[in-house]
Amino acid sequence: MRPSVRLLNLEVPSIQGARSLYVCSVCRHEARPRPIVARQFLRNASNANSLTEKVRRKIWGTDNPPGLKDPYGGEGALERKFKSKQPPTVVEEETPEASQALDTAASEAAAPAADDYEPATTWEGLDRVGHLGRWSDLPPAPTDAYKSFQYKKKITKKGLLSIAAHQAVVELCLMHQLGKPLTSVCDVEEHDQSVFKLIWKTKVVPTTDGQWNAALEYPNKEAEEALVYVFEQIGGQKVAPETEEVSQDAGEAEEATNDLTDILDTDETKQPFFGYQTIRDNGFLSLSLNDPATKFAFLKRFSQLTGHFFPDPAVHSIATVQQAVDHVQQVVKPKPKKLADYLANNQRYSNMPNIKVFAKRQKRSDRDEELGRKKLIEAELRARGLIE
Amino acid sequence: MKRLHLQRWSSSVLSPQARAGSRLQRRIQHGIRYQTTTPFPVTPAEVEQSIEEQTPLTSIRSPRSKVTKHSLPSPPVKAARESAKLAALHARLYLPSRLPLETLARCLVDESADPNHNFNNESLATLGHDLLTQYTSEYLICTYPRLPMTVIFAAMFAYVGPKTLAAMSREWGVELAAAPGGEVDPGHLQFTRAAPGVDPNTTPTATNRTYEEQSTWRRSITSKIVYDDVFGDPTKASVDPREQPQATDRYAAGVTPEAAASQFVRAVVGAIYLHAGRPAAKRFFEQHFLSRHLNISDLFNFREPARDLSRLCARENFEPPVAKILSETGRLSRHPVFVVGIYSGQDKLGEGAGSSLLEARSRAAVAALKAWYLYSPLEVRLPNSMEEEGAAPWKPVYVDLGEVIV
Repeated sequence: MRPSVRLLNLEVPSIQGARSLYVCSVCRHEARPRPIVARQFLRNASNANSLTEKVRRKIWGTDNPPGLKDPYGGEGALERKFKSKQPPTVVEEETPEASQALDTAASEAAAPAADDYEPATTWEGLDRVGHLGRWSDLPPAPTDAYKSFQYKKKITKKGLLSIAAHQAVVELCLMHQLGKPLTSVCDVEEHDQSVFKLIWKTKVVPTTDGQWNAALEYPNKEAEEALVYVFEQIGGQKVAPETEEVSQDAGEAEEATNDLTDILDTDETKQPFFGYQTIRDNGFLSLSLNDPATKFAFLKRFSQLTGHFFPDPAVHSIATVQQAVDHVQQVVKPKPKKLADYLANNQRYSNMPNIKVFAKRQKRSDRDEELGRKKLIEAELRARGLIE
Repeated sequence: MKRLHLQRWSSSVLSPQARAGSRLQRRIQHGIRYQTTTPFPVTPAEVEQSIEEQTPLTSIRSPRSKVTKHSLPSPPVKAARESAKLAALHARLYLPSRLPLETLARCLVDESADPNHNFNNESLATLGHDLLTQYTSEYLICTYPRLPMTVIFAAMFAYVGPKTLAAMSREWGVELAAAPGGEVDPGHLQFTRAAPGVDPNTTPTATNRTYEEQSTWRRSITSKIVYDDVFGDPTKASVDPREQPQATDRYAAGVTPEAAASQFVRAVVGAIYLHAGRPAAKRFFEQHFLSRHLNISDLFNFREPARDLSRLCARENFEPPVAKILSETGRLSRHPVFVVGIYSGQDKLGEGAGSSLLEARSRAAVAALKAWYLYSPLEVRLPNSMEEEGAAPWKPVYVDLGEVIV
């Protein structure tokens, strides 16, 4: 059948239920019969002896040119209808691009040719072959497991939030200092305890011009060297070709960080920030986030460490580290206590004899029981067989 | 000031009407009767025997025994401390702190709810009824020494009658439990309710009167003093306690809310007397009972005031009363008004206005009679003041002959 006719047949989407096959009227009119010259190229696109095929063979210089046999992705409804009336013919698969499902179907079709074929009546004992083309039938792959970018549990304590903000600031300052991509700090989800301790001890002293690269004040020289050494290896691909030993170190360090993350992943019951509760230094709070790249990197790292998401309006309004921390604290305001808890724990009311605070809500049945009416109601219901 | 419930006038006192709440007086009179007439258990052994017979299943509940609340006829003692309503009632009545909550909880358990006399309020109510009637009658007789007996009966009923006590318990905010039981909050008044259709005002058939069966026999006021209860109501004939049915049988039919509420108020008075002493009980009586306003002059009902007044004057050796027109207006008009004064010699006894001469005269006679009967001494001293330590020597109170017997 001509492809133009087949295109027209696609007007019956309601039968097939495929909305994607809808063809707009303009395309349909374009597909109406054209002058014969033009028609000759379009005609019999799937026919091996057509003009198109000949041209293709000529172009590719081979009898078996690449490309799909039917570039239009399946048969039309009418075509299929006509086909079913004709005697079915087994089409030999020529192209290697046939789908796996078709393959299995063909092999199954070939199997009945054997003489001792006995059709199975139940599925028992049959081999399970293929996945029927559905992804849900496939066994889970290791890549299917979801691993959260953020910290799983949202951090709510004020001290911990400060620690997280401080860590993000120190890391970004180091990256600024080293001139590396800022967001690569997120590659390391959590540092080793010794590294974290060094970060924790580092003070942030904001400079007057608000630059990030010179804001750090290390406790001592060794700490600075160690931190620089560690952070040089984060996102180490860039520095790798510079010197050989550095690249070797980088490889080692990457391995080490991988090991580290593995170890940390396995340990689920650990406390965040190795049990550190608060930060002594407050200088990081006044750092500005005017640079968009820095702001993005900081918020990304901060959100990774604390598990809080920053919506776009909040990101837009945040201008300093202080504001970011304040935003999270505002979000995580603890729920107000219930009045019943307050009354139950209030010593003043528990000492008053004429006030009774109940642990649970008093319903009508409780009132009935208090009045002695409940047993009468139950007896009457029992007498009528409404309760057992 | 609260007005008292005036359920009947002095004339209705004369008719023998059964009143709810006379059960208590009956029970009191049983004892009196047995002490005087019939062989009552005298020796301790007999008393013990009679008590055992009377209450075979009143074994005191062990507090350790593990019983569910639902199996008890009334709330357990320890529940009194947990009830907010009971504590609130205690505070609302301004009861002395020496009166524990447990006793107040016991006051709220009627005999019909829990037949065990260790847990119901019957004994407290008996004591409270004695105290209430004694204080009220002392007050009435000493304050108005010339009151007729019928008015005293009516005033007694108005001050400490069951209807008044029930109204008081309602004003105190005591709620009624639907049915008694161990799970009920001890702050509710618990009693077995009478079944629907039971007439609470049944006249007792058998009384202590000698000629009760003769329907034409005249019941005089004096006989009411002798035979009937403090309100002038007929009492049931006394029964031998050994033949008396069990409390469970007696109260199978239940009691009215009015009877139960009045028992509760009496029990509270008895409990105050027992726990806090006599002065506290007297104070409670003055604050809750005597403080209620009762206009005694409304209790009178004269049939022939002019005749009564002339007999009174004859009895008291006054000159016979003479009615004189003091002023008049519109004698020939549609609405004439006559003002008549009654004089005994030179003394004007009373004055009344009416649309006819007869009406004005009888009104004047009523005024004169009320002025005589409602005489009240300036300084009233009640006999119960002698119970206090270091009281002044008692000066006998003058009590008049009372009403005129026509």
